[in-house]
Amino acid sequence: MKAATTSWADELEADYVDGLPPSKETVDGDYKHVTEYKYNEEGKKIKVVRSFKIEKKIVSRAVAKRRNWVKFGDSKDDKPGPNSYTTKAADEILMNFIGSKDFEPTQDSLLDAGKPMAKCRICNGEHWSVKCPYKGTSLDMESKPIIVPSTSTGESSKPGRYVPPYLKESSKGRERDDSSAVRISNLSESMTEDDLEELVKKIGPYTKMYLAREKNSGLCKGFAYVHFKYRKDAAEAIEILNGHGYDHLILSVEWSKPQN
Amino acid sequence: MRPLMLQGHERSITQIKYNREGDLLFSSSKDQKPNVWYSLNGERLGTYDGHQGAVWCLDVDWESRKLITGAGDMTTKIWDVEYGSVIASIAAKSSVRTSNFSFSGNQAAYSTDKAMGQNCELFIIDVRNADSTLSEQAPTLRIPMVESKITSMLWGPLDETIITGHDNGNIAIWDIRKGQKVVDSGTDHTAGINDMQLSKDGTMFVTACKDTTAKLFDSESLMCLKSYKTERPVNSAAISPILDHVVLGGGQDAMEVTTTSTKAGKFDSRFFHLIYEEEFARLKGHFGPINSLAFHPDGKSYASGGEDGFVRVQTFDSTYFENFFE
Repeated sequence: MKAATTSWADELEADYVDGLPPSKETVDGDYKHVTEYKYNEEGKKIKVVRSFKIEKKIVSRAVAKRRNWVKFGDSKDDKPGPNSYTTKAADEILMNFIGSKDFEPTQDSLLDAGKPMAKCRICNGEHWSVKCPYKGTSLDMESKPIIVPSTSTGESSKPGRYVPPYLKESSKGRERDDSSAVRISNLSESMTEDDLEELVKKIGPYTKMYLAREKNSGLCKGFAYVHFKYRKDAAEAIEILNGHGYDHLILSVEWSKPQN
Repeated sequence: MRPLMLQGHERSITQIKYNREGDLLFSSSKDQKPNVWYSLNGERLGTYDGHQGAVWCLDVDWESRKLITGAGDMTTKIWDVEYGSVIASIAAKSSVRTSNFSFSGNQAAYSTDKAMGQNCELFIIDVRNADSTLSEQAPTLRIPMVESKITSMLWGPLDETIITGHDNGNIAIWDIRKGQKVVDSGTDHTAGINDMQLSKDGTMFVTACKDTTAKLFDSESLMCLKSYKTERPVNSAAISPILDHVVLGGGQDAMEVTTTSTKAGKFDSRFFHLIYEEEFARLKGHFGPINSLAFHPDGKSYASGGEDGFVRVQTFDSTYFENFFE
């Protein structure tokens, strides 16, 4: 520790090595924090703070003696404690227990030389699709619609594997009922969800509302979809709001057309 | 627990071993410097500088005073564990493949490769008063191996026998008083034995073989007791000192590594039940084949050294100690 009277400029001169502040160690209860400064590959100064937990262990005399041995060889100049160049804490890796639910069998078979890698998309034979004898026949034509649903059911039952949303079984049940949805267009740029809600809540209860916004600016793109709870409310909304003046623009409201 | 990664070597690890208490971990690699680490925090205590070739094997005596290493520079060296200095350097006629202290630490055995017109030979030396004159002393026993070279070696119980594993898959027991073979395993294994490790009480040992299996043998009769099957060459196998578990490490030959992805899962440590021969867990970590494995003598952690040059010390989580077979 420096005496309080020395100026900070002197301190800089005295302790800095290669323009780097000296490393510091502080002990805080069971934890030791080591602060080091060094240059990284780009030549920038970086500060490294490492925290250690201090544990006490009772060991036999021989082991305790060995603990105090002096380092030698390439480690001769190392300070006490692990050197970060030779000892690192690797990322946590959990044991993969076989038979437990998150065990994934490794796909060794894919790379085994003995097993043919090719699988024909047309006849499921052990050759590439291009070389399939059935290529161009009726089997080839009908094969595509058959394969797609079969993979979708097979894959989705296995957890942890990516399944595109359109192949998910659940997405079929979730198909929206668009019969009571209306499209409101010719909205002004400054339109917000709150304004839209104000506009439609007088007509009847709604289940869902979507206001199209510009991705970057967040401004309204000029149209919105509103799903009413009842179809009659939707019809009423078209009746009332179509041609209604709002924010210096004339709204146009119509039944929402299904996608595609 | 996060594993400790020990990066003291520049080339692939050839063998790792704990000392008797398990506070020190020794590692040798194809670079020329065996290392010693504190197993608790992964701190490197030092390097043993002096070899001029790949170090193939090492062993530490039971007092952790002496270390024996065998290397491709055709020498066996005995080191002072504490100071890292060479006590004795014994020249051989070809590279030294295996070296081990006997349990008492009074004797040591080493074997040489069949190379450069030399036969594979097994040497037994007296290391009680090892000093620099040891290199001039004649070995107490010298057994030429005519059939196949030794790739792995162990001391049998009471320092009376030596168990050798051979390149052709053969395992034999040699009585060092008679200087001849007393038991032969026959053809349990069909390819080279990469590693053999005794159980804690020494009554049995597990082999690691290139024929993709690891087998458990009785160390007196060489009767094959159990067999652990994988689909890759097994480079190392170790028996847990506290549980009925065996850990296997391996992977394909180094020359095939670049054509295989780490995701194919051939580089993980695989845990088998000793008795039921059933695999129950895997642990990833290395991105090359595992060359050597060792259980900590307390059974609560283990270390693996790989072709990738890293040693990983993994402490087991509580889930590992729960029973799976009850």
